[in-house]
Amino acid sequence: MKNSIKVERAKKNITQADLATLAKVSRQTINAMELGKYVPSTVLALRLAEIFEVEISEIFTLEESDWS
Amino acid sequence: MKVKYLFPNKYKKVGLFVLIPSAIIGLLTFILNYEPDFLTLNVPAIFINEFFGDNYLFGFIKNNIFNEILGILTIISSLLVAFSKEKSEDEFISKIRLESLVWAVYFNYAVLLISFLFIYGLSFLWVMVFNMFTVLLFFIIRFNWQIFKLKKSDSYEE
Repeated sequence: MKNSIKVERAKKNITQADLATLAKVSRQTINAMELGKYVPSTVLALRLAEIFEVEISEIFTLEESDWS
Repeated sequence: MKVKYLFPNKYKKVGLFVLIPSAIIGLLTFILNYEPDFLTLNVPAIFINEFFGDNYLFGFIKNNIFNEILGILTIISSLLVAFSKEKSEDEFISKIRLESLVWAVYFNYAVLLISFLFIYGLSFLWVMVFNMFTVLLFFIIRFNWQIFKLKKSDSYEE
């Protein structure tokens, strides 16, 4: 699964640490998501969408490999 | 994220503070076979199997309780170290926790299987004694190693 957390973060001009505080997770979690090493839960994904004020599908997109 | 099955973060330090001395003393007294006399007491037992005697249920036996005390302290403190929350316990940490637990169980039984095959007789008693504590020990090592790697490797990006 791809995500545009880094892009959205740049638009809002906030650091990983800021986003971590807003989303109530650790900075390592934000970093792991941006690097594609961790797929967040639905709750966390919804929280991110609310923080960035966008639809959840604008942040997260399925890839071919997600179907296998 | 709310998890009900973990202890508060502060118990990790309390656990370590008890675990290290009790594990060291426990190991030494087990190797040296040391038992202080004043701890030899009559204690209640559920199942009793006497040398050259009968087997029976429920009664009292004379036993040195030093190893019981150390064993209980080691297990309880290991549980506290293993299952206290991290400072920032979130869903990603929970995933690492779960993976480490599965890994620790696999690793523990791999060690036990190898011991089954290559360690015999009375020496196997040692394996059984250590095996009482190793699942938790392997978990603690693996989980904390993963957390350490995560904190170290993660490059800070603005």
